[in-house]
Amino acid sequence: MATVKWPHFFHFSAPHSVVNTPAHRPDTRRSKSYGRSCVEPPSLFWQTPGHLTTLGHRIPTSRRAAKSHNITTKVDPEQVALLIKNEWKLSHVTPLYRFRHTQLKLYSKHLAAFIIAEKQQGVAVEVGVEAGFKVTFSAVLGIAETKEDAETVFIQVHSKPLFSADTPKAVWRGWLTCVNGDPEYLRSLPPDFVSLPLFCSSGPEYLTALVKSWFERTFDCSFGSLYLNSTMLNWLAALWTGCHPTSNIRYLKLAWNMPSQPPLDIAYTVNPQDAWELWNSIHTEDSTDDRINIEEVQLFMNGLEIHFFRHFKIYLSAGTLTKVSTALGSAHHDGKIKIGSSDYITTLLTLLTECALMKTPV
Amino acid sequence: MDEQARAILQRVIRKIPNKKLQTALRAWDHLSSEQLESLDYAQPKWLFLENLISRCEENRLSLKDVTKLEMAYYIDNPSKGTWHAYQLFQAEGDAVSVNFTQFREQLKAHLKDVVRHVSVRTKKLEDGAVWIRIAWGDNFSKPNHLKPTYVVHYLQTSYVFVLNLMSKHKPFLYQALLLSTRHVSIKEAQLSSRSLTAMRDLLMRQYQQVFPTNQERTLKERNAPPSHPSIEKEHAECAERRHQMACEAFGDGVLPKLETAVYKLETKYRGNSNNTLNDKDELFRGVVMFSSSNLLESFRHCVSAGMAEGPVTPLLSSITQKGRNSFVITDKVPGAASQTPAHKA
Repeated sequence: MATVKWPHFFHFSAPHSVVNTPAHRPDTRRSKSYGRSCVEPPSLFWQTPGHLTTLGHRIPTSRRAAKSHNITTKVDPEQVALLIKNEWKLSHVTPLYRFRHTQLKLYSKHLAAFIIAEKQQGVAVEVGVEAGFKVTFSAVLGIAETKEDAETVFIQVHSKPLFSADTPKAVWRGWLTCVNGDPEYLRSLPPDFVSLPLFCSSGPEYLTALVKSWFERTFDCSFGSLYLNSTMLNWLAALWTGCHPTSNIRYLKLAWNMPSQPPLDIAYTVNPQDAWELWNSIHTEDSTDDRINIEEVQLFMNGLEIHFFRHFKIYLSAGTLTKVSTALGSAHHDGKIKIGSSDYITTLLTLLTECALMKTPV
Repeated sequence: MDEQARAILQRVIRKIPNKKLQTALRAWDHLSSEQLESLDYAQPKWLFLENLISRCEENRLSLKDVTKLEMAYYIDNPSKGTWHAYQLFQAEGDAVSVNFTQFREQLKAHLKDVVRHVSVRTKKLEDGAVWIRIAWGDNFSKPNHLKPTYVVHYLQTSYVFVLNLMSKHKPFLYQALLLSTRHVSIKEAQLSSRSLTAMRDLLMRQYQQVFPTNQERTLKERNAPPSHPSIEKEHAECAERRHQMACEAFGDGVLPKLETAVYKLETKYRGNSNNTLNDKDELFRGVVMFSSSNLLESFRHCVSAGMAEGPVTPLLSSITQKGRNSFVITDKVPGAASQTPAHKA
């Protein structure tokens, strides 16, 4: 068995969880997950090799169709505006240890100090000149959907110009969120952990690295890049296309990369109405609870690929689906997204939260 | 040098990367070799420009000379924008006898007839290419040297390549070209690319052509006989067949470096037979864009590697056969070809 790179906090978190949490079933699984060490008694994990995560076997085969709802009725529109139109790089994060939504002001100060300290490492600085950065943490209330979801946290890093009286300029933005996270998993977390598994960042790479490193030190968590596989991109293509009658998607654009020499990029932009008609011919809407099955999603994508093949005789399946975009948003397989419309933000974030949780070692 | 000449010189120098400055100034041939050596090419652009301007003033250079520098730089670096190909039709009897001097004079005269303020500069290169730089003005304003149109034409051929042409200037250029090349009509050739060379090679067939009769022999020479003549043989035969089909469509040698091809699909849905959409008369509209650092080579590799089914569909082989990279695809109607030529609106 490969050694699992698990951060140092195990050493104090495990005893803690033993003392403070009642030993009900979910906790057994918790201690298994954070305690892959020799002192831990053999647990369910060892008896079922191959069953690596409790979430792994729960990849949903059906989802609720995307429903438009005006999120600005429950979330501050100014905060919503910050989330859309930006390109976000995705990461997944393990649960944060002793993160408190009531301490955001303090975190702002600490992160700013950390960034300044890291920037000035090895550089002689004049004492008293506070060069640099201002950080604000804020909670975006209302994005969370269930009572298990922790509230979204938005972080902005502003650079403070040294001399001018200009207002500080936002140089980096990022947020941590959890929307419709697996309730059983979230309930199974020990009380001192907050799961905000999806981290979105936008700004210079070095600031992203500094913010991540501060989180890792402060909350004993760990970050990893989140890539979106073609199944996820297929889901998005179908979910967004299904929205067309209520919200004009303007286009459905799919991009593939073929591993030829030199590599070939193929972008197929489908007329939105025609794409929807194809979707409508596959998906049967039942009135009560409109759910979409993975089979329907696959039929839809196959339908597009076959139509393409009949013209160009190129097997798209030999390549990689790299990007899906509509006016409602875009998603790239290397883990970059854009949110085009706030009305469908919940559907997108639910899907991405699920992706992020799937990457979290349990 | 007047204000305008300085402004244009500044614009041109900014466009040229530092490491190409020396070559560009040498190609320009307006400064003495002592002057060229006295310049420090590693200087920041603004400082370099100051020094350059003083050298230009020593030589009493004018706006006209500065535009020549820009032209020399474009000639050496033609991939600085998207070129569009145009095709001339119905050559008149004397079209074959048009020489460079005639062409230049006629073009200038016809442009000046219709646009009062226009500045035209021409240069004929050794390979026969005629380069034309046109700075457009109108009745009230002087020629705008910041946004010139570039035209490249090989005399006695029916192709013209154009860079940075605004649609309001199109009729003027069309007319001047027709009159000076002695043709009756001109049309967009549905071919565009950043690479002028690729377009020229594609349209003027200056790349290794396909000679199907030679194919079989060269292929046999290249492919060593399989060591295990059972399954491997069958694999090899398949691979060879695929390779052959790829070469039949795109040739065997170095291909023109085209980067993109665009197909507008206006055909009915053709999916699985059980889909209800198949029976509909409505079109399933979409746009397919292929891109690669060398598109034709990518296609050839896709076919020979089995990522595409052979024989190559006429949609793809039309790129080389028709010398186009922009198509509108419609369904076959009885008595008409399956691909109707595209006409950009």
